Amino acid sequence: MEELGLKDALSTITSGAIVEAIVVVVLASLLIIAVQKLLPMLAHKLTGKPRLYLLAMVPLLRLVIIVLTIVMVVPILVEPSFENMLAIFGALGLALGFAFKDYANSLIAGIVTLYEMPYRPGDWIEINGQYGEVRAIGTRAAEIVTLDDTVVVIPHGLLWNNLLANGNDGSDNLMCVAELYLEPNHDVVRMRELFRDVIYTCPLTKTYQPVVVAVLATDMGMKYRLKAYPLTPGDQTRFIADLTARAADVCAAEDVKMISRPLLWQ
Amino acid sequence: MATEKDTEQSCLPGGLIPLDQWSAPDVSVHKTLRAGVKDILEQLRSGLTPESEAFESLDDLPSLSEKKLKRYAPEPDASALASAILVQLEALRQQGVHNRRVSFIVAPPFSGVTDALLTLPARVIEPPDNLLMTEQDADRWWDDQLGDGDWVVPELANFWLRHRSGLNLLKSFFARVALDSAGRGIVACSSWCWQFWIRYWPEIHVSPLTLAPLDSERLTGWLDFLAHGGNGRSLTARMTNDGLFVLPPQTDASNAKYSCFTQDLANAARGNRGVAHAIWQRALRAKPEEDAEQDEGAASAGKTAECWVVPFDQLSLPGVPQGSGQQAGIVLHAIMLHSQLTIDSLERVTGIANRELKLLLSRFLRADLIVQDETTQAYRPTSLGYPSVRKYLQARGFSVDGF
Repeated sequence: MEELGLKDALSTITSGAIVEAIVVVVLASLLIIAVQKLLPMLAHKLTGKPRLYLLAMVPLLRLVIIVLTIVMVVPILVEPSFENMLAIFGALGLALGFAFKDYANSLIAGIVTLYEMPYRPGDWIEINGQYGEVRAIGTRAAEIVTLDDTVVVIPHGLLWNNLLANGNDGSDNLMCVAELYLEPNHDVVRMRELFRDVIYTCPLTKTYQPVVVAVLATDMGMKYRLKAYPLTPGDQTRFIADLTARAADVCAAEDVKMISRPLLWQ
Repeated sequence: MATEKDTEQSCLPGGLIPLDQWSAPDVSVHKTLRAGVKDILEQLRSGLTPESEAFESLDDLPSLSEKKLKRYAPEPDASALASAILVQLEALRQQGVHNRRVSFIVAPPFSGVTDALLTLPARVIEPPDNLLMTEQDADRWWDDQLGDGDWVVPELANFWLRHRSGLNLLKSFFARVALDSAGRGIVACSSWCWQFWIRYWPEIHVSPLTLAPLDSERLTGWLDFLAHGGNGRSLTARMTNDGLFVLPPQTDASNAKYSCFTQDLANAARGNRGVAHAIWQRALRAKPEEDAEQDEGAASAGKTAECWVVPFDQLSLPGVPQGSGQQAGIVLHAIMLHSQLTIDSLERVTGIANRELKLLLSRFLRADLIVQDETTQAYRPTSLGYPSVRKYLQARGFSVDGF
């Protein structure tokens, strides 16, 4: 450490400077807490794009506050000369490199996340088999809430070597799919038309977005996929359930039997 | 005195235009931003402050009496509009712009086209009691209704239900109209209904026409035309805050300073004549310093009638109660799609239980967003509440009309 000049750099720190730095850090922390509490609270009162924009501002504001705090605190503690900066960041690099490799990995990934925005608060993502809505993006990790209301913490470091699926990618358009397996040997054209009516007559459907009824002959029967967009991404469970119930009604009315997979696997 | 030709033009300013040529009146960036921020603030304020009354005015001037309101801003003459529509259709036919046997007029709610078509000397086709028909029944029903002789459909939105079995009647109708095999008639279709069906069936090809939007200039001319009421007496309307003129329309020779009220009104109503007219009626105020009898005497003596206009920022239109939840949007959207719905039909198309529907509807009634028809018991939107309903639905991802 001495070779790095860290001792010289830190020798100028006085108790007064430490107190001043602590005050700045505490104020910045309070500001970050306020931003993290207030903005999501306000965002949940809004709908549509304003909600997404407000949520996306949270991590961005926090980053700005952290950077400003560092910019303010470092000159308070040490004289901002080239030698001193080199010494401090050199020592920091060593410490991060050995002791906090994974932590630093996620921190850097967190900064990349804010720049590249592979996911934002309000997005519905799937990563490592976990699917849910991004509620918060922290410095090291993101929090998603699954459809079963479970919070899953995902380190940003997973970004580097994992596939990430983003359902709505910053918009409020999220395609949902209701899947049905029907017994073969029925009028496929008519069923497709009826399923299309099912989607259009569901009150939760965004009718100005594409509506698709796909059908595939599989060895488990005729597989129908009713694809459409719900009014809001948060409606997806209700929307898929509604489409499935309405489609089941159609099958019953047309006397076309539905097949459940477990029965086929027996 | 206006000639007959002038009168027709004033009754239908801008005439009929192809649907794809319609555009909303210009609005400044400043006004758009202001409206957006105001909308966000209203959403945030919900729950913090009690909801205001459906409509309030912050000015102290007395309202106009019913009699004066009918004289200064009377309801548009439906038969005159019907005549103007016929003249326009004939002109478009002669120009070769419109060559279909069935004329399809897509118009936003409160445009007055429905009432106008009802005054025409043609057979009116009313919707059947049961809208849930099979394809074969729907075909048979139209076979019975269409045929020789002119006919009109005053509102196509009443001929379907957003239900699995409620689409067949319109499917059959659109197929006939597209093939020009439905005889000769005029169809009025609500822009909300049209928006649904053009998405459901993009292949619909019926060459729809629409009423030209009322921009500031057309709106001023139309309000002036209404105020004349056929007796030639003009109306002078001035702003209550700065005395700037609103009516009569500005002429080149005039040195008077004019307010931008009609521009604001055209923007707020998105060029919709019914909405603009309703807000205009609400904004008119009497002159407090004049004795009523004296004013009546002056008016009958042929003098120009005078009244005051409340500025826009002092008027508040009915708003959708914030925090109403998604079911509120579903109910309002269903009413807009079908122009009007009874509670039984609402239950069928929304899937919401009757008891919950009653609670929501009573809330909307209190907020002046909807009214219930005394004879049919159907709920329909109000012209004053329409702008906020549209904005509310648009913000929540519902498919709204293009007007």
